[in-house]
Order: sequence, then structure tokens, then C-alpha cells
Amino acid sequence: MVNTIRGIIYFVVLVLVQVLILNNIHFLRIITPFLYIYFTIKLPVGYSSIQVTFLSFLLGLAIDILSNTPGMHAAACTLAGFARPSIINIFRGEDLPDNISPSHHTFGYGGFIRYTGAIVILHHVSLFLIESLTLFDPLFLTIRIVGGVVATTLLICIVEAFNRETKRSGE
Amino acid sequence: MRKLLDFLISKRHWLLFLLLEVISFMLVYRNNAYQQSVMFSTANVVTANIVSVAGSVSSYLNLREKNRDLIERNGELEIELLRLQRQVETMIADTTSFRSFISVDSTRQFPYKVMPAKVVNNSVAYLTNYITIDRGRVDGVVPDMGVVSEGGVVGIISNVGEHFSVVIPILNPKFRLSCKVLGSSYFGSMSWDGRKTQYAKLDELPRHVEFNVGDTVVTSGFSTIFPEGILVGTVSTFEKQRDDNFYSLTVKLTTDFHNLGSVMVIKNYYQDEQKRIEQEAKGNG
Repeated sequence: MVNTIRGIIYFVVLVLVQVLILNNIHFLRIITPFLYIYFTIKLPVGYSSIQVTFLSFLLGLAIDILSNTPGMHAAACTLAGFARPSIINIFRGEDLPDNISPSHHTFGYGGFIRYTGAIVILHHVSLFLIESLTLFDPLFLTIRIVGGVVATTLLICIVEAFNRETKRSGE
Repeated sequence: MRKLLDFLISKRHWLLFLLLEVISFMLVYRNNAYQQSVMFSTANVVTANIVSVAGSVSSYLNLREKNRDLIERNGELEIELLRLQRQVETMIADTTSFRSFISVDSTRQFPYKVMPAKVVNNSVAYLTNYITIDRGRVDGVVPDMGVVSEGGVVGIISNVGEHFSVVIPILNPKFRLSCKVLGSSYFGSMSWDGRKTQYAKLDELPRHVEFNVGDTVVTSGFSTIFPEGILVGTVSTFEKQRDDNFYSLTVKLTTDFHNLGSVMVIKNYYQDEQKRIEQEAKGNG
């Protein structure tokens, strides 16, 4: 129950922050951070693959509708959500209690950054590949992906560091 | 049999994953059609209201610049007014030529009307960008109307909701506009290459057209969307295309898409008629 309410709050706040603020940031005119994927990152470990995939899809769809990009974010988020359980297995093994959220307390600093980086890379690569179906230019595409991954990972680490809720629920 | 069922159930997250990806890609591809669904865009009333609240807040943040632009524009218009007044005066003085002018219906001369609108959502960072404005069907907006700002051409209306519409700006690969270099009547096709937001390409301009870097590029008026002579940009660089018969120009756009606040929607009274006749002509040929 607590997890559900927390999830809804994360969802609404992250979508609004993304659409109203971050979509207007174009650092050096090419880099836009996509913080909203933090929602998928913070879902409790115990959620099944089906739940994570579906919630990520809804998240992407919400972003799509509000930023006029039907399908792109939804496709990228679905992939990231689907891959999440495997990524957790690779970086952290299966020895985690079900009800905790991934954070720098539960995963350790290095572990959390590696886990975040893997999901962000997956999300950004698929997002920009789908977007560039219309216009293909490998160098420009690479710059956009690398810039985006760095910006988003950095922003997620900053938010995570200031997330008081993580401290309270951290084991 | 039971093993097969067990297998399917154990892989059901794969099925869901594939289903959701298929839905997403269907949305991506349907959006590539010219008319996208109103439901999944910011022309939808619910989403448009969210972004318009944000737009009204951010519109206060650059009031100072907007004011300056408006004052400049006002000055230009005042000069234009004076120039036209003088023209009218000379015409009145020269009564013989004036007589022939006055009998003509004024809408016949200039069949365009403008309607102010406010930008409530705007993107510039993607490869396909869209702008949402706060005018919709109830204000008389229909698809294929032109949109301009004080800087010049902005884009073309694509989707119309009840109170909001989505504009395809120059910064979108779907956008094509017939343009010419001011002073000649040869026209080329303007499009965007997805790179810098201040520059667009003008292709298919015949080789023998004479122009210089810095010359003004305006709309040609051949489409039914924009009247002739609306500012688009200035020539920045140019090169010959490979087949050597045409120039390809890089045009520096005069519209600053990073800072769009108020725009104007252009209505052409004769658009339907012109389109219908052109369709008929194609049918006959």
C-alpha cells in the first residue's frame, strides 16, 4: 500500500517535472536530460517483470502524450523496464528483500551508479535510435546519446543524493 | 500439455513486452502520417490545459524581450503606414488612376486575415518538433493554415482540437515551404536538416538565379498557405548541388524558435477554392 502511494507520487511528480521543466532544457542546444526514467529505477525490487514493464510503458506513454512524440518514449521505457530485473540480477544478485527500492543504501554507491547507468544507456540508445528513424546521421546521433546519458545519470545521482525518503526507508 | 502451458505462463512477461513494444511502434508510425490523432497529442484538451498553465507562467519570464520586439515591430508598421498613406495621397492627387482602384473589393485584393494566438507548448530539441497554440476549432482554425510570428514564418497548422491546435514548425522534417530570394521570382523548396535550430535549407533553386550572401528569403506565395513576401530568413551560405543545375542554400531563419511567445494564424479566404480547382485540374490531366 505504501509502495503504491509512493509510486503514484513519483509518477506524477516526475512526469510533471520532465514535461514542464526538463523538456525546455537544451544544454548546448542538443542535450536534454530525461529524469523521468528515475521512476523505473526506483520501483521496488520485488515487483515482477510484468508489473515493471507495464508501469514503464504507462510512464513512457504519459511523457509521449504531453510532449507530442507518440510511441517513442513508450517504446524506450518498455524496453528499459523489461530489462530491469535482469540488470538487477547482474549487478546485485538475488539476495535482496522484496520490498526495498534500489537506492545508494541498498545497492552501495558503485552498485547504484552502475545499475542506473545501465538502464539509462539502454533507454537513451533505444530512444534516440527510434527518433532518428527519420533522419540518420551517426556522428550527431552518438553525440546526442553520450551527452544525454551523462546528463541524465548525473541528474539522477543528484536527485538520489537529496532524496530524504531514501534515508528513512534505507536498511 | 501441462509443460507447454507452464512454459507459456513462465514466459508471459515476454508476451507482454512484445505487445507493448508493438503498440508503441504503431504509435510511432501512425504519427509519421501527416494527420496524427488528436487524442495522443497536446491538442487534447486535458494535456493542453496542463501545458498552457506552464506556458502562461513562462510567458511572464520573457516579457521584457517581448515588449522590445513589439515596440520595434510597432515602429516598422508605423513607417509602413506612413509609406502607404503617402502612396494613397499621390493616388488621390492622380484621380484618373485612382478611379480604377476604388471599384475593386478590398478582400479581392488581399484575401488573408490574421488572428493572434499564444504559444502554450514548444519543442526545439527533437528531430521532429511541434508547437501548440491556444486557438482551436471554435476560433475558426482549420488544418493547413499558416502561422507567423513577429520574426517571420513559424509553421503550418496540422491538428486542430476544440480550443488548441498543433503547429508543424519549420524545425520538422515534414515541413516544406515554397520560398524565393527577394527580388527574383524563381522559387525553391525549404526544409530542415535536423541540426541547428537557426538554419534551414533551400533546395532546387535554379542555377541562373542571381543572389548574394545576406539577401532576404521570403515566401513565394505559390502555396495557398502563406501570402507572398513573408520574411523567412537571410542567405547564409550556398553551394551547387551535385547534378549542377540547382543551388542549395543555407538560410538563417529570422524566427527565434527558442523564444516564441505570441504568433499569428493566417486565414486565406480562397484556400478551399484554389485547392479544389487545382484538384480538378489534376483530375482532368
